[in-house]
Amino acid sequence: MAYENVQVKTPLVLRLLPLLSIVLFFGSWQMVVDWEIVPSTMLASPLQVFQLFIVKWTDVNPDGGLLSQHIWTSVQEAFIGYLLSLLVGIPLGLAMGWFVVVEGLARPFFEMIRPIPPIAWIPLTIFWFGIGLEGKVFIIFLGGIVPCVINSYVGVRMTNPTLIQMARTYGATDWQIFRQLCIPSALPMVFGALQIALALCWTCLVGAELLAADSGLGFLITMGRRLALPDMVVLGMIMVGLTGAVIGVIIDYFEKRLLAGIRR
Amino acid sequence: MSDIANEVRKQVREERSFTVGSVLKNRWFLHIVSVAVFFLIWDKVAIAKAFSSGLPRPYEVMQQLWLMMFDPLAGKTLFGHVWASTQRILIGFALASVIAVPLGLLMALNRYVNAVVKPIFDLLKPMPPIAWISIAILWFGIGETSKVFIIVLGTFVPCLLNAYNGVRLVEPELYDVVRMLGGNRRDEIIQVCFPAAFPAIFAGLQISLSIAWTCVLAAELVSARSGLGFIIILGMNLSRPAMIVGGMVIIAIVAWGMSQLVSGLERFVCPWKRQIDGR
Repeated sequence: MAYENVQVKTPLVLRLLPLLSIVLFFGSWQMVVDWEIVPSTMLASPLQVFQLFIVKWTDVNPDGGLLSQHIWTSVQEAFIGYLLSLLVGIPLGLAMGWFVVVEGLARPFFEMIRPIPPIAWIPLTIFWFGIGLEGKVFIIFLGGIVPCVINSYVGVRMTNPTLIQMARTYGATDWQIFRQLCIPSALPMVFGALQIALALCWTCLVGAELLAADSGLGFLITMGRRLALPDMVVLGMIMVGLTGAVIGVIIDYFEKRLLAGIRR
Repeated sequence: MSDIANEVRKQVREERSFTVGSVLKNRWFLHIVSVAVFFLIWDKVAIAKAFSSGLPRPYEVMQQLWLMMFDPLAGKTLFGHVWASTQRILIGFALASVIAVPLGLLMALNRYVNAVVKPIFDLLKPMPPIAWISIAILWFGIGETSKVFIIVLGTFVPCLLNAYNGVRLVEPELYDVVRMLGGNRRDEIIQVCFPAAFPAIFAGLQISLSIAWTCVLAAELVSARSGLGFIIILGMNLSRPAMIVGGMVIIAIVAWGMSQLVSGLERFVCPWKRQIDGR
């Protein structure tokens, strides 16, 4: 069917409204603090937060770490936990999708672990590992492994049965079908898990750092609350959001590159 | 051999001989073996004190749970604590879904609402709800309000996103059908948009529920006088691992039950949704 590609110009109002809404958001935030509608012990204005942001790159007070150190600690923990969950979760999920024995053995175990939010593991991990790196990596690992397993499992299960039957007809072994058919067809689902796992890992990281840490972005937030410095709390929150978003963009880039040859 | 390739088999009932091999490859047999091995290893590891008494035996956990059911802990029995957490989740969950789902639908249906709300939403979205705990405590103190606030924030995002995407991803052919049958914009929205977005909305609710559990636990771990998170953190402070693991077991059971409830509701409200096998 020959449709002309019609270029619809978005009206000026629709292009201005998002900008206006952002400006209004920050404007009202600044006003609320400046006019003391909300006491200054409860909320810092955007300008104060920005000032602290500049200062924290060079000043270790009052929480004993530069902003860059906090970011590095958090990113390091998140990265190790994330990588571990990918390395364990994806092969496990793929194998669970195809091999009955693996599924039979791993599934009940997995179903028992799954409903427990990773945050609930924090007290137990403090018992086991103390408040060091290992405990937090363990929490993040638990958070990330669930979507990895589920998505790779579902990915394999959704393999087109016709293809499998065809491969069988040509005499392929189970292992060949798994390696050459199921894994490639599961890949888009597996890559979908990368983003979900990342978001969960990042949430778990903040939770773990709120309770047990001596540096990191979650620790920055906690210290801000303990010292009643709202600007530090807000700075910590913004840095958590920003760092998470940046990592998300990077993962997205790799996902697009890796999936370039595969039809969705 | 996997059964995804052999749908035909479901119809052709094959008389299979009862051999050792077929028993060993039976799914249920393997499930039982797996659970048994899990508890056995757990028990052995606990007795061997591999985690320096940081891991209780399964039996001790059962004992502790039995004890907590009748002995009040900080003024509440186990059921009281379960109800405290559940209540927070229900209030937060209800508030968030009542605001977020209509807002998401509205954003998808009206460009102007979308242009105003979307940028602010995108700005706040990447912040994990748990990061809000500290500021919620500064604002509302350590009472119920701050916990409900966290849950609302956490559940808001998936509810809104899924309602939004649910409407946006409705197949255009369905609109064409309604228009061809002489429907106006209102019919389009009520007859097509809403029913077609239901499965996505329910998926959002399901995600929200698991996030709500994460949020309520995090909030209770940071500061609380009741709830399941409180039991866990109390177990940590009193160095009683049996209490921690007992709390985790209860959390798993309650969270699982609630998610079953939502999927039951989903099957009831939109029976036309296709199920992916094995989910």
